[in-house]
Amino acid sequence: MSIIELKNVTFSYGKKTPYEMKALDDVNLCIEENLITGLIGHTGSGKSTLVQMLNGLLRPDSGTIIIDNEDIWEKPKKIGDVRFKVGIVMQYPEYQLFAETVRDDIAYGPKNMKLSEEEIDHRVRQSAEFCGISEDALDKSPFDLSGGQKRRVALAGVMAMNPKILVLDEPAAGLDPKGRREILGGIKRYREESGTTVIIVSHSMEDMAMYCDRVIVMSNAQAIANGTTKEVFSKKKLLLDAGLDVPEITHVASALRDIGVEIDNDVYTVDTAFEAIKRLHSSLNEEGSDE
Amino acid sequence: MAMDVSLGQYYEGKSFIHKLDPRTKLFFVLIFLVATFVASDVYAFALLVGVVSLAIIISRVPLRVVFKGLKPLTFIIIFTAILNIFWAKGETLLVNQELIPNFLTITIYKEGLINAGIFALRIIVLLIGTSLFFSYTTTPMELTDGIESALSPLKKIKVPVHEFAMMMTIALRFIPTLVDETSKIMNAQKARGADFSSGGLIKRAKALIPIIIPLFISSFRRADELATAMECRCYRGGVGRTRMKVLKFGVRDLIGFLLTGMLLAGVILINIYGNGYKI
Repeated sequence: MSIIELKNVTFSYGKKTPYEMKALDDVNLCIEENLITGLIGHTGSGKSTLVQMLNGLLRPDSGTIIIDNEDIWEKPKKIGDVRFKVGIVMQYPEYQLFAETVRDDIAYGPKNMKLSEEEIDHRVRQSAEFCGISEDALDKSPFDLSGGQKRRVALAGVMAMNPKILVLDEPAAGLDPKGRREILGGIKRYREESGTTVIIVSHSMEDMAMYCDRVIVMSNAQAIANGTTKEVFSKKKLLLDAGLDVPEITHVASALRDIGVEIDNDVYTVDTAFEAIKRLHSSLNEEGSDE
Repeated sequence: MAMDVSLGQYYEGKSFIHKLDPRTKLFFVLIFLVATFVASDVYAFALLVGVVSLAIIISRVPLRVVFKGLKPLTFIIIFTAILNIFWAKGETLLVNQELIPNFLTITIYKEGLINAGIFALRIIVLLIGTSLFFSYTTTPMELTDGIESALSPLKKIKVPVHEFAMMMTIALRFIPTLVDETSKIMNAQKARGADFSSGGLIKRAKALIPIIIPLFISSFRRADELATAMECRCYRGGVGRTRMKVLKFGVRDLIGFLLTGMLLAGVILINIYGNGYKI
């Protein structure tokens, strides 16, 4: 079931100036419900523009965006409602924190939704838990936290709105490996428990392979591929042409195949590589024992 | 996103006006301002309108761009014009209580109408003239360089001209950055359901807090980073500093100065000897 559908969406920045630039050119795509979809593309390929289309921050010049079977621009005055359905965590969201305490900052979204006090409190605790924010950190000032912790607070602020669709623009950019794992792991756990549809924009092929069920590839204002992670990462040439790459481990696997090692074709994460090598190893052992 | 914010107002071009030395433009704008206020004869005023129109044509900045710059000031222009209608007293009465009974208690004279029109036109000419020379055809950097150079004699009496110019350069440099940042933060808060366009005055002012606080914090952070970066490159003020682009007067600047002088002389002469309607 697709929850988001874009039909012939076109958008340009700086219309009628010498700086006019097409950011989305006749984009058609579907995003499946209850899955983690990765959105990859080189810098300036239109990813962030596409993200801002999804909750009506930008209005397409032409084309329609259908979310949950509704054309979101049918009633332009009601565009605010879409923002409660589609939660977006922008790039470097830690710079948008403003409240006196972490608790107040996370509660900002739910408050805008005009929920009851108890409900707000419940959601703040719940989303703080998902993002790994401890109980006593809730009463601290967000400005006293470290960069990684601030990022988690910002993430919790959007999660607390319980959106049907959660969109994250480069959620792990600039974090150390531990921070990356914690943030992305938290998102995965959140999706499993809440059944939210998640879209992650990223440059990291490794993260995509590890956490996403499906991947969409953007290049030069167009969506050039949309399929399961395996399908997309098997198109090595297309990815390289789009200024992207396949995960490092996939290069290792194909180099191994080139020298005659019969390793599986679909090695995209370290875990699958480990499994594949283990299988290879045991089959070699069997051959050895046959002799 | 940066593509959406035009870099200052600069409109790229290679026209005569673009190539003028910024100091020539400063001189012109100064004289032009004086001339616009001094002009008291309709023909002198027409000369100024003509000069501005000619300058627009020479600069090749499209009319659409020029008028777009006026848009934010429409309210002020209309407001002052309307005030002027009621202000002036003249000979030809158009509206008063006796002529049109029960129509409030206002009196309007024909002269008031004309004055209002000319007043509005005066503001428009002034705005177009200055913005054409200062922002559409001059980059902010050229402009501050020009100001620094023009004011450099003041260094002799210990006015920190270089420091002021540097402050201005930095401020101008960061306007697009801040605009960009503001729209990013606004989008982020809108995504969390913020509503900036409904409710009363107090509610709207309160709605701005989630934008202003992050903006302040990031501005301080930027200022800090910039100061460190400048110190790392051994910046220590203006003494002994050389420039990448050295300002130079050329033949076209001589022409510019001459034309400017002629404009002022023309306006004064028409004021004295002209027989047009006196404003």
